[in-house]
Amino acid sequence: MEADIRWLDDPRVFRVNQIPAHSDHGFYEDEESFAAGKFTLRQCLDGEWQFCFSVNAGSRPAEFYREDYDRSGWDSIPVPMHIEMAGYDKIHYINVMYPWEGHMFRRPACTIEGTWPEQDTGAAAWAGDGSFSQAAYNPVGSYVRIFDLDPALCGKPVRICFEGAEQAMYLWLNGEFIGYAEDSFTPSEFDLTPYIREQGNVLAVEVHKRSSAAYLEDQDFFRFFGIFRSVYLYARPALHVEDLWARPRLLGDYVSGSLELELELSGWGKAAMALCEETPGHGYQVKITLQDGEGSLRWQGQLPAARRIHMEPAAVGEVIPWDNRRPYLYRLLITLLDEEGRILELVPYDIGFRRIEIVDRVMRLNGRRLIFNGVNRHEWSAKGGRVISRQDMEYDIRIFTENHINAVRTSHYPNQIPWYYLCDSHGIYMISETNLETHGSWQKPGGDEPSWNVPGSFPAWREAVLDRARTHFETFKNHPAILMWSLGNESYAGDNLAAMHAFFKEKDPDRLVHYEGVVHNRAYEDQISDVESRMYEWPEKIAEYLSEHPKKPFILCEYMHDMGNSLGGMRSYMELLDRFDMYQGGFIWDYVDQAIEVEDPVTGRRVLRYGGDFDDRPSDYEFSGNGLLFADRTPKPALQEVKYYYGQYQ
Amino acid sequence: MDNISKEMCVVYGDCSLGLRGQGFSYLFSYGAGGMESLVKNGREWLYRPPKPTFWRALTDNDRGNGFHLRSGMWLAADQFIRCRGVRVTVDGVDRRQPDPRGNNRYHGTERAALAEICYTYETITVPAAAVEVSYRVEGDGRIRMNVHYCGREGLPGLPLFGLRFVLPTLAAGFTYEGLSGETYPDRMAGGIPGIYEVEGLPVTPYLVPQDCGVHMESRWVRIRPGAGMSNVTKGPLAPPCGKEDDFLEIGMEDAPFAFSCLPYTALELENALHQEELPPARRTVLCVLGAVRGLGGRDSWGTGPEPAYEIDAAGEIQFCFWIR
Repeated sequence: MEADIRWLDDPRVFRVNQIPAHSDHGFYEDEESFAAGKFTLRQCLDGEWQFCFSVNAGSRPAEFYREDYDRSGWDSIPVPMHIEMAGYDKIHYINVMYPWEGHMFRRPACTIEGTWPEQDTGAAAWAGDGSFSQAAYNPVGSYVRIFDLDPALCGKPVRICFEGAEQAMYLWLNGEFIGYAEDSFTPSEFDLTPYIREQGNVLAVEVHKRSSAAYLEDQDFFRFFGIFRSVYLYARPALHVEDLWARPRLLGDYVSGSLELELELSGWGKAAMALCEETPGHGYQVKITLQDGEGSLRWQGQLPAARRIHMEPAAVGEVIPWDNRRPYLYRLLITLLDEEGRILELVPYDIGFRRIEIVDRVMRLNGRRLIFNGVNRHEWSAKGGRVISRQDMEYDIRIFTENHINAVRTSHYPNQIPWYYLCDSHGIYMISETNLETHGSWQKPGGDEPSWNVPGSFPAWREAVLDRARTHFETFKNHPAILMWSLGNESYAGDNLAAMHAFFKEKDPDRLVHYEGVVHNRAYEDQISDVESRMYEWPEKIAEYLSEHPKKPFILCEYMHDMGNSLGGMRSYMELLDRFDMYQGGFIWDYVDQAIEVEDPVTGRRVLRYGGDFDDRPSDYEFSGNGLLFADRTPKPALQEVKYYYGQYQ
Repeated sequence: MDNISKEMCVVYGDCSLGLRGQGFSYLFSYGAGGMESLVKNGREWLYRPPKPTFWRALTDNDRGNGFHLRSGMWLAADQFIRCRGVRVTVDGVDRRQPDPRGNNRYHGTERAALAEICYTYETITVPAAAVEVSYRVEGDGRIRMNVHYCGREGLPGLPLFGLRFVLPTLAAGFTYEGLSGETYPDRMAGGIPGIYEVEGLPVTPYLVPQDCGVHMESRWVRIRPGAGMSNVTKGPLAPPCGKEDDFLEIGMEDAPFAFSCLPYTALELENALHQEELPPARRTVLCVLGAVRGLGGRDSWGTGPEPAYEIDAAGEIQFCFWIR
C-alpha cells in the first residue's frame, strides 16, 4: 500500500493500518521486571530526531522516507515538542474561530451542497478537493529517526506507539509505508514487524499541521502541530494480553463486589498455535488473581488461554468501595503461562469497585449523592505547551487534594495516560472527554448557525468521530476514576453525536455519558447525555430548571470563568447544592492559564505571553488565561476561595 | 506634663496650616488641595496630597461586561479632581481666614489639642458629585480621617471609592490584620483572618495587568518604609532607618476597611498589556477603600458581578480610619 496525500482532505480516512485501540495496561515478561516496575520490552524513541520543515505539502521532501534519501543539511528537533515551539512556525492562540479564518476559504468536505460526491467512489473522488493537501499554507514536519533495536526486542514482533502526534501523520520504516493516523490525543500504534531490522532502521514520520481532522479539533487553545507526546517501540511476549476489560462492580447492597473480565490475547511462535481454536488442550493458561490493598488474596481463577476470554461476573465478597475520600484499589493480576507453567507475561491493573447510577434523577456514587467539586484542566506547561511532565501531573494532583477539588474534566481531549492512573489512586472523579470540538462550525457572530456543523448528521463524518469515541473508550476503560464519558465539547448535536452516545452506552452501560452541546439542539435530548449539562449558566436559571420537574440531573461542565482577577460570586452556585439534590456541582473554568514563557527582549526577563503576542492573527488574545493557577503553576489568589467552598461540600 | 504633650504647635501659614508635635510634623496645603506633608519620626510619607480615587484598572470581567463603556467617566474623575475649598477648625474655632493679613495676629506660639482640616472636592463627572475629606488631628499626632462621597443621581456605577495616598518611594512591605490573600466583596469567604506580613509590594501577575491586591475587612495595615527620597544621609537630620517606630499605620475606626498597597496607580496598571510593560516600581500607592465593586465571574464576556456587589453612584459612601 502506498501513502496518499489526499487522505488529508478526506474525512472518511482517519486511520490506515493502525493496531486496534486497546486498554492502556502495562505488561512484564517476568517476575523480576515486574518487581522492578521496568518495561523491559519497551524501547523509548524520545530524543533528538532529524527534521525538515516545509510550508506546505507541495514543497515537502516527499521522498524523504527512502533509506538513500540525502538528508544532509537537515535540522534536528526534540521529540516530544511542538514544531512551533522549536521556532519553525507561528505560535497561534484562537478560541472559537478556525485558525484559517480570513486567510483561506474552507468548508468541510461532504457537508454543504456541492461538496457531496456523486457517489462514494473512495479517496480518488477527492483528488480535486485539495483543501489541505494543496493549501499554500499547511506546514509539514518531516521527521527521521535512525535506530538499532534493543537486544530485548530482537527476534520478537515489534510495534510502535505514538502517544500523541498532532494532527495527521504518515509513517514509513526502512522505505516501506506503514500507516496513517489522525486523532492527535490518543495513542496510534502500528506493527513494524515485517520491515524491522536489528540495526540501522530508518523510521520516517511526516506530520501535517492540518487535515480534515482540523474541523474536529477546534479546541480553545494554542494551535500546535508535531509529535508532542512520547514515542516508543514495544515487543510482545510470546503470549500477550492485547486488551483487558475489567469490570469490577459494587452490587446493589453497596457492600458486595463482583468482577467480570474480558481478555483478548495474541501470541506468536508456538503460542500463536495455542490460541487457535483447533488446538484445544494446548496447556497455555491464564491465571487471574485479585488482591486487596493490603495484599490479601480475594479471588483467583485459572483458565485455558484463548484468543478471547470472557469471564462471567464472579462474586468477590465484601469490598471497600472506591471514592474520593477513600480511593481504595484492588490489584488485578493476569499471568499468562506456557504449557510448563512458566510465566510468559504479567499484567497488573489496579481496579476499583464503585457504582455510578442515577436513582430518582440524582446521580449517586456508591449509593450516596454525587457532588462534583470540579475543574476543567487543559494539559499545559508555560515552557512546553501541551508537552507536560509527570512532575507537572503530580503537582496538579497535590493542588487538587489540598484544595478539595474532587473532580476533573479532561477538557477537551484524552490526557496523557499517567494522569488517569494518578486520578485512580487519588480518588479524583473524571469526566473523560473525547477529542472533539467543532464550535467554529456553528457558533457564529449573531448566534447558532449550524448549516455546516460537523460532525452533524453527515454520513462522511460519522466514522471519524465514532473512531475517536472507540479509541478513547478502549484505551481508558479500566480506570475507576472515570465516572462519565464525554462525547466532546461544543460540537452542537446531530445523528453522529447520537451514534457516539449509543456506542458508549452499548460498550459500557455501567458508566454515564456526558455531553453539553445537546442543550443547543434539544431534538436530541432523549438520545444524548444522561445529565443536563450547561456552561456558565446563571444560578437563577439553574434554579428555574430544577424547579420545573426536569428529566435529568444537572451539572455545570464549565462555570466560574476565572479569567484574570475573577471568581467572584461562587456562593450562589454552592447554595444550589443545598437547595436541589439534582444540582450536582460543576467544573470551574479552568485549572491553569495557558500562556507561554519567553524572554522579553526589552527587559531580559522571563515573561508570559498570550494570544496575539506572536504576530498570530486572528487571535483571542488574553482569553487563553482563565486558570486557578498562573501558567507557571503558581496559584492565583482565587484558589483560597475554591478551597473554602469545595471544602464545605466534601 | 501630661497635658502639654497632648497639645501640638500650630503654624498659621499663608499657604498652608502646619501642625507639629512629639514625633510628627504635618502640612495642610491651601493650594495643592490636600495634606502635603506627613512626617513621622523624621520620615516624609507623602509624595503628593491624598486624593479621592474612583477607578480600578479594569479586570477581565469588567472589560467583558462592558463596564468601562458605561462607567468610563470615573477614569477621568480619578485622574482629575477639582478642590472646591478647605475649612480649618482649631479647638472648635473656625480659623481659616479669607485674607492672609488675618494671619498677622498670630505669634508662632499657638498650641492646640485638636485641629480639623476638611477639603471639599467636586468630580469632573457630568453631573458632578461632591466629596469631603477631613483630617481630624489630635495633639499626639493621630489623624482621624473621614471620607465622604455625597452621591449624585444620574451617574454610572462606580468601580470603587476611596482615598489614594502616593508615598514617595517603594515601601519595603506591609503588615496587616485582616483576611489572607487577595479578597474582594464577592470573593472573601476563603480569606482566613490573621496577621499577615507581605514582603515588597507584589502585583498579582495576571496575564493582562489589572486591579489586584485588595484586602477586605482589614483592622490595620502598617507600611514599612523603603529607601527615602531625602538627600540627607548624615547627621541628626538623616531620616530614621530601621527604627521600631519607623512605619505608617492605618487603623480602623468603627468598622474594618479595605485597602490595596501597590507600586502603581490604576492608570499605570490600565495602560499595560503585559506585566513587563509596567514601569519600574518606584512609589507606593496606598488606597484606603470605602467601597469596592465585586469581581463577578459567572463568565468573562458579559455578566458582571451580582447586583449586590455593584456600587450605585447615587448613594452616599462614608468611611473613617486612623493614621498613626
